[in-house]
Amino acid sequence: MPAPIQLEKIWDLLKFNPDDPLLFHTSLFFFLFVGFLILYNIVSKYKSAKFLLIILFSLYFYYKSAGYLAAILIVSAVVNFSFGALIYRTPLGLARRLYFILAIVINVGILAYFKYTNFIIQIINEVQRSQIEPLNIFLPIGISFYTFKAMSYIIDIYMEMMEPTKSFRNFCVFIFFFPNIQLGPIERASNFLPQLEEDYQITNADIGRALFLISTGLLKLALISDYLNANFISQVFDWPERYTGFQNLIATYAYSLQLYCDFSGYSDLAIGIALLMGYKLMDNFNAPFKATSIADFWRRWHISLSRWLLDYLFKPLQIKFRRLKMASNIISLFITFIICGIWHNAGWNFVIWGALHGFYMSVGILLQKPKTFIYKKLGIYNTAGLRFVQRVITFHLIAFSFLIFRFTHIEKIKAVLVQIFTYFHGEIYMQFIEKLPVITALIITGFLFHFFPEKAENKIKSIMGNMPIVGKVLLLAVVVYIVAQFKSANPIAPTYFQY
Amino acid sequence: MITDELKKVILKQLNLDEFEINDETTAPEVPGWDSLSHVNIIVAVEEHFKVKFKSMEVLKLKNVGDLQRLVDSKLSK
Repeated sequence: MPAPIQLEKIWDLLKFNPDDPLLFHTSLFFFLFVGFLILYNIVSKYKSAKFLLIILFSLYFYYKSAGYLAAILIVSAVVNFSFGALIYRTPLGLARRLYFILAIVINVGILAYFKYTNFIIQIINEVQRSQIEPLNIFLPIGISFYTFKAMSYIIDIYMEMMEPTKSFRNFCVFIFFFPNIQLGPIERASNFLPQLEEDYQITNADIGRALFLISTGLLKLALISDYLNANFISQVFDWPERYTGFQNLIATYAYSLQLYCDFSGYSDLAIGIALLMGYKLMDNFNAPFKATSIADFWRRWHISLSRWLLDYLFKPLQIKFRRLKMASNIISLFITFIICGIWHNAGWNFVIWGALHGFYMSVGILLQKPKTFIYKKLGIYNTAGLRFVQRVITFHLIAFSFLIFRFTHIEKIKAVLVQIFTYFHGEIYMQFIEKLPVITALIITGFLFHFFPEKAENKIKSIMGNMPIVGKVLLLAVVVYIVAQFKSANPIAPTYFQY
Repeated sequence: MITDELKKVILKQLNLDEFEINDETTAPEVPGWDSLSHVNIIVAVEEHFKVKFKSMEVLKLKNVGDLQRLVDSKLSK
């Protein structure tokens, strides 16, 4: 006799659990999403029903990870929709400026309460030597991402770059949209809202691209990120002084790869899932380790955030300070990157990480002219050899900055560096490969995959798009099978989730 | 219509001898006109035409045609 269905167990699985957020690479999401997609295709002819389905599924998706704090989404939608309309219909002048400031204060205020209250208490305690107890504040997942997404709408209307939407329903779809609510991309309203007005039919090429992104996303997350972190990086970084410099250096490289696979893998899934629904989200990564300078890196890493910061923070600051000429760039870079650091998380290491990137960028612009002069004199300007050297240097600067990202205590970073510079023991490399063949293979494959030529990638997408439906399902099944072999019992939330 | 005078100021700042610039030209289309050199071009235009822009006016510029119209509007005041 079959066992009776235990409704309580199903409810336990589906209800809010702060320790068990609904991640794209979990079987629960897979089953829910398949159900959603079937319903979505049935109702897709009826716009209202389709949007209602997206809104309800998105609210549930967020509730599963944030509980009653999912109400913040509704508050954000009401506040930003109302202020958008108010700013638009108020003539240029003081009142319009005040509405704009108020809207920004509300958005930043909500974000600051959840994310920075305890950091501010920590600073007060450090300055006043007081003992104020930190508050028990639950940080709702993705709040930094959707707050910035909503603010782009307000800023674009204030800057007269776009008109507000008249449809509150469409605005809710924009704010609640589940594929990008947890980890971005931080979509622009001006890119997304017009898509809701169109009746776009997805093409074979879209399906090919979506499947490619979902496959690479799953492989990056489970195969490289989770596995490398659990089986190698964490072990070395927990006790760096117990390992040789060689192992610490490989762990540092692997951590850069892990962070990239972790975050870009989740972005790939978000973009792929949205594409299956017929919506095109902006690209978020473009082979960042191919960057030949730090400025180039920021054009390739977390593109939706770096463009947001460029348009809404760096440019206004730069124009404000423009009388200072070159110094305006440097001041604006430092402020922008320190805020970029704090955006990631509340902690001194994130402030230092941001300031370090401000420093890197400033040195970059100060040395730009003399460097170009020297390269031209030496006849190596724009050569493949120079680009290779620039890539190696840029990668090491980035890898070093990621150590600050990883460790909250400077002693740990010091320990990693001391081991690398004083106890290297490069001769153990054969032992390393023999003892950790899977780790070695994953690191090499990860970096090779990263440097995969774009043409070949496009070819694969095209082949995947032209496959018969059975082939597509089979391919996805193979990827899921590989991922299942590697993944831990409980998929690890991406590192960026804490941001 | 872009004046030769504005074109010369822009090209001088970018160390370019010649480059086709028209109303629709945007910054990324011109070699060397990136987010960092942008500020130098704006200051050079202000100094050359002896005008002063508001920050918001500069931030709203979409192409060189907008910049020309902004200069013209300031000069006609």
